[in-house]
Amino acid sequence: MFKFLHAADIHLDSPLLRLDVYEGAPAAEIRGATRRAFENLVQTALAEEVDFVVLAGDIFDGDWKDYNTGLHFAARIARLREAGIPVILAAGNHDAASSISRSLRLPDNARVFPHDRPDTFRLESVNVAVHGQSFGSPAVRADLSRGYPAPVPGCFNVGLLHTGVNGREGHERYAPCTLAALREKGYDYWALGHVHQREVLSAEPLVVFPGNTQGRHARETGAKGCILVTVDDSGRAAIDFRPLDVVRWAAAAVDAAGSDSAYDLVDRFRRGIPALLAANPEGLTVVRVRVEGATPAHDDLMSDPQRWESEIRAAAAEDGGERLWVEKVRLGTHSPRATDDLPPDGAVGELMSLIDEIGSDPAALGALAAELADLEKKLPREFRDGAEGWTPDSPGWLAGLLAESRSLLVRRLMKARDDG
Amino acid sequence: MKVLRLDLAAYGPFTDATIDLSGGDHGLHIVYGPNEAGKTTALRALRHLLYGIPERSADAFRHPFPKLRIGGALRSADGRTLDVVRRKGRAGTLRRAADESVVPDAELQRFLNGVDAGFFATMFGIGYEDLVAGGTEVVRGGGDLGRLLFAAGSGSAPLGRVLDQLNAEADALFRPAGQKQRINAAVAELKQRRAELAAVQLMGAEWARHDRELSAALAAKAAAEDGLLSAQRRLSRLKRIAEAHPVVAARRETLKALQPVADAVLLPEGFADRRGPAFTRLQVAESERDQARLALANLRAALAELGEPEAVLGYAERVEDAYQDLGSQRKAARDRIGLETRRSAQRSEARQILRSLREDLTLDESERLRIRRTEAVRINELGAEYERIVGRIESSRGRAPDLERQAGRVAAALDAAPAPRPVGELRQRVAAAEPALAVERQLPTACAEAESRLGGCADAVATLGLAVSELRELARLPVPADETVQAFQDRFDRLEHRSAAAAEEARRVEERLAEIERRLEESRLEQEVPTEADLQAARRARDDGWREVRARLQGTPADPAQAVALAEGFEAALRSADALSDRLRREADRVAEKARLLADRSGLHPRRAALREELAAVQADLRAAAAEWAARWRDVPVRPGSPREMRRWLAQFALVLAQAGHALERRSRCAYMEAEVATARRTVAEGLAALGEPVEAGEALSELVRRARELVASADEAARGRDELERERARLRAEIAAAEARRQSDESDFRRWQTDWAQAVKPLGLGAEARPAEAGAVIEELKRLFDHLREAEVLQQRLEGIERDAEAFARNVSLLAAEVAPDLSRAPAEPAVLELQRRLTAAREAQSRRAALGRQIEEAEERLRNTAATIAEAHAALNAMCAEAGCTTVAELSRAERRSDDRRLLEARLGRETERLLQLGGGAAVEDFVREATAVDPDGIGGEIGRLQEEIRELTTRRSELDQQIGSERAELNRMDGSDRAARIAEDIQSILGAMGRDVEHYARLRIASRVLTTAIERFRERSQGPILRRASALFRQLTCGSFDRLRAELGADGQPVIAGVRPGGGEAVAVDGMSDGTADQLFLALRLAGLEHYLDANEAMPFVVDDILITFDDERAAAALQALSALSARTQVIFFTHHRHLLELAAGVLDPAAVFAHHLPPAAAPPGQRPLRM
Repeated sequence: MFKFLHAADIHLDSPLLRLDVYEGAPAAEIRGATRRAFENLVQTALAEEVDFVVLAGDIFDGDWKDYNTGLHFAARIARLREAGIPVILAAGNHDAASSISRSLRLPDNARVFPHDRPDTFRLESVNVAVHGQSFGSPAVRADLSRGYPAPVPGCFNVGLLHTGVNGREGHERYAPCTLAALREKGYDYWALGHVHQREVLSAEPLVVFPGNTQGRHARETGAKGCILVTVDDSGRAAIDFRPLDVVRWAAAAVDAAGSDSAYDLVDRFRRGIPALLAANPEGLTVVRVRVEGATPAHDDLMSDPQRWESEIRAAAAEDGGERLWVEKVRLGTHSPRATDDLPPDGAVGELMSLIDEIGSDPAALGALAAELADLEKKLPREFRDGAEGWTPDSPGWLAGLLAESRSLLVRRLMKARDDG
Repeated sequence: MKVLRLDLAAYGPFTDATIDLSGGDHGLHIVYGPNEAGKTTALRALRHLLYGIPERSADAFRHPFPKLRIGGALRSADGRTLDVVRRKGRAGTLRRAADESVVPDAELQRFLNGVDAGFFATMFGIGYEDLVAGGTEVVRGGGDLGRLLFAAGSGSAPLGRVLDQLNAEADALFRPAGQKQRINAAVAELKQRRAELAAVQLMGAEWARHDRELSAALAAKAAAEDGLLSAQRRLSRLKRIAEAHPVVAARRETLKALQPVADAVLLPEGFADRRGPAFTRLQVAESERDQARLALANLRAALAELGEPEAVLGYAERVEDAYQDLGSQRKAARDRIGLETRRSAQRSEARQILRSLREDLTLDESERLRIRRTEAVRINELGAEYERIVGRIESSRGRAPDLERQAGRVAAALDAAPAPRPVGELRQRVAAAEPALAVERQLPTACAEAESRLGGCADAVATLGLAVSELRELARLPVPADETVQAFQDRFDRLEHRSAAAAEEARRVEERLAEIERRLEESRLEQEVPTEADLQAARRARDDGWREVRARLQGTPADPAQAVALAEGFEAALRSADALSDRLRREADRVAEKARLLADRSGLHPRRAALREELAAVQADLRAAAAEWAARWRDVPVRPGSPREMRRWLAQFALVLAQAGHALERRSRCAYMEAEVATARRTVAEGLAALGEPVEAGEALSELVRRARELVASADEAARGRDELERERARLRAEIAAAEARRQSDESDFRRWQTDWAQAVKPLGLGAEARPAEAGAVIEELKRLFDHLREAEVLQQRLEGIERDAEAFARNVSLLAAEVAPDLSRAPAEPAVLELQRRLTAAREAQSRRAALGRQIEEAEERLRNTAATIAEAHAALNAMCAEAGCTTVAELSRAERRSDDRRLLEARLGRETERLLQLGGGAAVEDFVREATAVDPDGIGGEIGRLQEEIRELTTRRSELDQQIGSERAELNRMDGSDRAARIAEDIQSILGAMGRDVEHYARLRIASRVLTTAIERFRERSQGPILRRASALFRQLTCGSFDRLRAELGADGQPVIAGVRPGGGEAVAVDGMSDGTADQLFLALRLAGLEHYLDANEAMPFVVDDILITFDDERAAAALQALSALSARTQVIFFTHHRHLLELAAGVLDPAAVFAHHLPPAAAPPGQRPLRM
């Protein structure tokens, strides 16, 4: 019997994306999350006394240039060396793009597959053969698995591959291959990497994406970690997921239907907090809140969205304490009032019909974008390249802002509903 | 929409209050409520009726949430009405008038015309704050026309503030050239963090370069260290050889000098030191021996000179005793004279005292006067007792008259005190009357209440329309039972229903008949029917025309005039053919229609007759029922109404009957209470009369009781005073008797004392009449006399002792002298003793000299013996040394010592030089090294050393440089320790981007809102400037009472249109900043009302709710404003809430009473604590 760990997509030292550190947020908890998750991987390997570790690519982040990250990685690998644990790596697309991995010298317990041909590493002590090939360039479009060698008879055969298989949502189709081809190869375990969502593609033989070790943005929700593979004396493998993440992302939907005030919405969010905490009983959860549905509170929300975001954050801090972080509050509410409800004439009617006119005229929407030209010039590239959802040339985006402005104006121009 | 009625059924401080707002076409309704009357609550209730009661309502302080109810009736523009009740809750809160079923929202919406809560509050509500905000807006915006029109047209008074705030919020987030704005600051921070990231980021190539350079430096350092070692080795050898050259030369010299003394005897260390002292010791001993011999001879001669010791030494003790006694004798002789003088003085003193007491007695007889000590004590005691007895007698004699005087005063007071009154019975009577006091207090209230209830019942009876004189009769009235009335009601309902149904059908039959008649008449008036032949002729004419047209269209065109004529002709033929065809079709229908009408008419006539009979029958039944109904009420003195009315009447009657029963019962209880009070009063009055107190007939029970209690209290007080005096008199009598007894006892004591005293002083020679002080003086003098006599006796005895001692001393001296020195036996005692003493002293000195000489002789003999031994020892030692050195004589010893020393010195030097060469030779044999050193040229060696030293210096510098390089490379590599500094900065960057995303989005929202609002303002101005400004001009003139003539749009400083007021007489334009606050308010009000009218031009009306806006208007302008509102009420309902009663009076004075309606809010309990919070 022997054990090994299978992990991938560590993206060491890449930061959690665009987390707004607001007053009262547990900021210290998210510091160095990917590094600490990797540390957890090393600790798990030591505690489980595994026989070896396989890493299926994307150890580093492609854009990240700080060589210290490489040195830290090497130091941790050296720690495994002290415990006599070999580490077998196949470089992924990010590693191929990384300037770190090119010049990094790893301790001699680390074995990296070549990128110009597939190769096989034998681990005699446990009678294991690991087959694999690294990425030589950031965009490998060929099916690498096709060239992998035949299984070594009498050995437990592991295939280590960084691949998008035949297309996975949100991931580049690098080193494409088919599940059928992998199964036909005759290996006992396919250790895949690249797709950040954990998935067992096949149980016999096991074909596994372990997911990344630490979620890095709002779309990477749920527990993240590695796979502990235990192979019994008859060569049968059993897998067990081990969470490694120090920060967990979650999504919370608040249904606004039937609520009659913004406070009511905050209460609804608050009622969901125990479930959020229960899902991650020990660690920190970062949650993106989405409020949706028709509510009379819509205008209140839109007239000061930042205030209601703060209210929701305050509720999270109160009930979730150090264990809950509200990353962002997305307001997708709308008013229950039909658009033609307002009287057709008068000053307010004039304003409403103007907004309707602009909203349905792409040219007029384009003219609104001119209001934002000064700002656009100053914004950093993350905004200009559209990554932040900042798209002033998109009529749809402008129409959304216009609708929000309409609510904001209605709320500010009209007296409060219960103004005595 | 109009509000017909507002029911404050259970809301805020109100219970079942109603405001009827139905008056007038629309009407100006002024709702007056003084402070605390809940005016604000009523205003709020109106909104909550229409739009629901909010979740967190402050109006539930009196009625709990589930009980809150606001009711009302609404009428829409097209005449529909809706009667509803609003509850508090989440859904289904609007219910039908009797609260029995839910009114769907859609039904209410039809009355609201799409106006939601916010829009209603804004557009159809104006309060004092809005007016002031509007006035401020007028001045603040510089009269910006667009903004004012928009504010007026939307009701949103603080429009300018909204716009400015949008811009201010956007500006706080971002400005193109700003630095502190949130987004600007974030961009700057981002830039800085990126620079920091670039600075701390470590490149892989850099690490490899440092690693390489470190290895190279380590190798170079190893090479430099090798070279250094070799050079140092060579340098060291040369230095040793250079150092060895002088040593080799010196060693050669030493070997040469050693040859002559090589055979010398090596004497032990310290030999010379031993020889010198032995020689000296011999010489000293010989000299000492000679001196000792001489001294011994001198001492022996001195001893012989002193001779034998004297005899007086044998009596030394006795001579010394006598010498000491001599001193005592001399002192005693000096004391004797003093003692004799003192003795005679004592005796003379004693004699004088005796003479003062008894002249007849001598000193020797004075012993007879001595008295015993007990006698003296007795006299002292009696003396003291005399003082006590005399004092007591004086005190007891003074006490008695004083007590007699006090007793007299008490007796007088007793005589003056009045006699007590017998109040026991009165006290009992008061106690018996006690319970009636409370009854008497309650009596007036109880009677008044009973009367008031009776009065209320009488009023209620009058309201019922009953003609009864006594309330008691009510119970006996034969009113019909509810069931009976119900039966009548049902009967009437049935009959009326039948009657109405028959009447309705009769009406419909009549209408139908009239319609039939009308249509028959119409058909008669139609023209004659055309024939089929007419139609065919017309069609032929049309076809002929068409052929012509067609020929022309296919052939060559003719001249234009001909073509026009042809076209017109064809058109006329075409129309004529069509008309004929239509008429033919219609006429066919008309014939059939007429036949049907005639058939209908003949069928309807019998139905009309039947219906008329049915109606007559029903009317007869109704009359019969009415007669029965009247008969049923004959014995009740009331005019009966309809059964439905009488059921309500009966319910009222039952209520009144119950109330009357209660009222009568209360009246009888009052009578009972009056009787109880009267009995009690009689009891107390009799008690008072018995004591002779006058009692007035009209005095109340409480007054009588109060007087009786005072009487009892004053009688009790008098009895207590008398008891007090009698106790005092008895006490004084007892004290007087005691004082008399004490005086008699004191006088008997004094007589006994006189007897004892006479007996006691007799031994002193005094009589009974002598005073105690006199006896004390005699005793004192006797004591002094005997003291002097005792002192004289003691002095006499000491004088006799001195005499005896002198005689014994003389005898003793005479005996001693006879034994020791017979030559002195005749001499007096004193000189003899002195001489003996002198002789003894001289003999003692000679004796001590002899002893000293003896001791010195013994010492000299001892010294002589010692020196002889020393001399022998010295000789022996010297002889032994000669033998050791191989000398025959002592004189040769010194040369032998010198040769031994030389040999020893040279051998030591040779050893040192050989040793040094061994060291320098670095382990080589001495002779080998000497040969090697000798082979090197001493003159060339210096140059060679200099060259090697230079080489070593260079290599050392190189090594230290390499060390530094290694250190810095190591430091560089250590710095690259896998730290997460850069990663942390990258996290910070993400965090800044995250915060920025929010701000950027909000900024975009604000900018777009501002842009859109500005555009809307401009567009609204363009569209509505004409009508609104025209109407506002007229209103402004009216509201300012003609102080302004009109409003005018002008171009402001920045080219924007602004508003200005124009003074009458076609003159001066006043900009808004030249208007007073009040005028600005009125300008806003004018615009606001004009904007509202403009809105009403195109939309359905909603009630306009005005909340006390006139509080700062003077009466004239307030009247003008009320007139303007009254004018507005011609177009929509105006509901004006106010706290100010004078506005009601003002309105009554200036407005048409048919168009204005005043309402007073009922007084309401104030909410607990404070006014409800604004929500």
